[in-house]
Amino acid sequence: MEGITKFFAASGVLANDAVDLVVEEGEIHAVIGENGAGKSTLMKLLYGLEHADAGEITFRGEKVAIKDPFVANRLGIGMVHQHFKLVSDFTVAENVVLGSEPRARGPFIDRRSAVRDVSKVIEEHGFSVDAKRKVQDLTVGQMQQVEIVKMLYRNAELLILDEPTSVLTEQEIESLFNTLKNLLGRGKTIILITHKLEEVMQMSDRVTVMRDGKVVAVRDTKDVDKRELSRLMVGRDILLEVDRKPPTYGDPVLELKDVTIRCRGQGRPLLDRISFQVRSGELVGIAGVGGNGLAEIEDVIGGLRRATSGRIFLHGEDVTALGPEPLREVGLAYVPADRLRRGASLPTTVRENCIVTKHHDFLRTGILQKRGIRAFTERLIEHFSIDAVEGMPAGNLSGGNIQKMILARELAAETDFILFSEPTWGLDIASSQFVYEKMLELRQRGAGVLLISSNLDEILGLADTVLIMYRGRIVGRLENTESLSKEIIGEYMLGLRDDSQSPSAVASAEGSRG
Amino acid sequence: MSNTSFPIPMLHSTIRIMAPFLLAAIGGLFTELAGMLNIALEGLMLIGAFFSVIFAAATGSLFLGIALGIVASVLAAYIFGFISLHLRANIFITGLATNVFAEGLTMVLAFQIFGNKGVIRFANLPRLPVLSNPSLQRIPVLGDILVGHNILVYVSWLMVVLASIVIYKTAFGLRVRGTGSNPGAVEATGLSPRRYRMYAILISGFTCGLAGAILSLQLGAYVPGVTAGRGWIALVAIYLGNKTPLGILIACIVFGFAESLSNYAQGVIDVPADFILAFPYIITVVAMIAYSMIRHYRLRGSER
Repeated sequence: MEGITKFFAASGVLANDAVDLVVEEGEIHAVIGENGAGKSTLMKLLYGLEHADAGEITFRGEKVAIKDPFVANRLGIGMVHQHFKLVSDFTVAENVVLGSEPRARGPFIDRRSAVRDVSKVIEEHGFSVDAKRKVQDLTVGQMQQVEIVKMLYRNAELLILDEPTSVLTEQEIESLFNTLKNLLGRGKTIILITHKLEEVMQMSDRVTVMRDGKVVAVRDTKDVDKRELSRLMVGRDILLEVDRKPPTYGDPVLELKDVTIRCRGQGRPLLDRISFQVRSGELVGIAGVGGNGLAEIEDVIGGLRRATSGRIFLHGEDVTALGPEPLREVGLAYVPADRLRRGASLPTTVRENCIVTKHHDFLRTGILQKRGIRAFTERLIEHFSIDAVEGMPAGNLSGGNIQKMILARELAAETDFILFSEPTWGLDIASSQFVYEKMLELRQRGAGVLLISSNLDEILGLADTVLIMYRGRIVGRLENTESLSKEIIGEYMLGLRDDSQSPSAVASAEGSRG
Repeated sequence: MSNTSFPIPMLHSTIRIMAPFLLAAIGGLFTELAGMLNIALEGLMLIGAFFSVIFAAATGSLFLGIALGIVASVLAAYIFGFISLHLRANIFITGLATNVFAEGLTMVLAFQIFGNKGVIRFANLPRLPVLSNPSLQRIPVLGDILVGHNILVYVSWLMVVLASIVIYKTAFGLRVRGTGSNPGAVEATGLSPRRYRMYAILISGFTCGLAGAILSLQLGAYVPGVTAGRGWIALVAIYLGNKTPLGILIACIVFGFAESLSNYAQGVIDVPADFILAFPYIITVVAMIAYSMIRHYRLRGSER
């Protein structure tokens, strides 16, 4: 048999508990599971980034010890990490050859043959990147191509892709899948790590399901359906659909008027005359590919970046010039995309994280009242079923629980407007579901909710109104009706459709709202 | 002193004075590119200064003195690197410790060996050989400024060229730069970022040792605290030079000129000596502020 068998038991956190994984040559093998199920750990072991405490790996019939990625590369195992491992100020070619540079004489790099060899790989596989461009100028999809080229340059036969689609647009995902099929045709073997069931059904030949560090099932993809897989993953039946009641709109709570952010030395503004409003009881979703202004909208509404021109109103009050703290006094609650740095302070306790935005309420003669804080925190922990103790550092919590903690804190402020940015990025199905329910509850209660997200399922499932950003402009304003699809939004996201240029389209959008 | 001849010796001494800055900054450039703020330059330089002059006097050989001075400095750099990288101590604290350690060590050893806490002169110390070439010296202006320095000055120029080649043309340079920009990317290719960081620290030990050797050997004596903050100014030069060898060269010319100016001004202008001696440091502060202001305006979006 040519394939890999892996058995491994870690101490402390049992990330992988006697796991067997068999991958046949020439197949696409999906490994699925929730966050913390042990998929990534297993792959890191296979790629030599971590070392197993027990168990063995057999590759093409031979027992192998993979002590570092170098050995993995030599064996023909390559990996594309979820968070790209690229040096952004290097060129594509430099990134690809890093660590196995072609030499001219002695220590000198042969730049010409580096560019030539890398270009050859790019061409052979129909990728669309230029070997001489700097990585920082590429789109996310192209960066992923560079990662794949990196593996192919090293003659990888077994390719591991860790959550490859989490950062891509629909169109980019399609092109990735074409690439994978193409690679399969060339006799490569692919391991696809994911928690998106659709991809498993669409792409894989076989699937291994992991839960709590164990393998719970290995199936031929054609013999299973999504429902069964999700049950295996979560261990119980879960509701995949969210229940969204028809909206009832009230007065605007947030309004942006011609908000523009310009950076000196850059021709194109980061935000270009952004105008929209969020009414009470309305959930507005903003979609877009990274780098097209989503982060800037988050920053400008959160008070972390000043608009170059334009005005922002919150509850009718001009808050354009306000920083984060006065903004919260006016009535802003904000769940940031960067939850580990902006949303929480990892070394401080859960308790302190929970009261950071309202610690004034717990002051008596300038001293924080510990008892009140404890009671408050414990109430939040219970209400939001956070798996935590109030005195433990927030950094000890899992990603899902950190997000729950932030959610609890922001919702406790009971504001009429809440900004969510990428609220489920990297969360598993159960945690995501929890976040969705909370968002819809808020909307039901009559709060205005703004959801900034690159996840189209999320936008389509939750939003009443969908705005799409491209190159700093809002290129599409759409009512979320039955006829709206991911493909349509995807075309806007890639700039293939643009309503902002034709005044009639804008006018009709305005008209339909009034 | 006539008006025409006055700038020439001043520029000549600029070239001599900038050499230690240049060497320390070039070494520091490697650690900077590898993603570390190396504040130990000062201490490493001091160790180089002390041991090179001691060993040169003891062996009667300039070459052995310089070589052993460098060995001492590289050894100190290794300890600094080991504690920072392998024992994972905060590199700022270990850098600070290296500086304090260097100061204490040199003071204690000087007292133990010579029973003297002050300046230690070595009468029979060989002088650094000077490059003097009459035909080159005849080139107007440039000949007077650039020729007639001790050989280590020319070695420092050579190091700038060498550093440019290593950083931009070799696989080693690529890996060091990669380590600084994204250690995860380097690790994912199977290389050890820690190893390249260690190499960078050792390189900074080498160049700082040489820089220290220039300081004490051209004096022919060991002066306590002879580095006088030059390691810190070298650190500033790295940033002012925008982390490129050429930029560092220009920054070091500015600092060398400032110090040279203050040396000359002492005899000419009627200003308190303390102020004149502080001049190079004031230039450093002004340069640093100007640099960060320029950066600030470049990065920031234009306000209305």
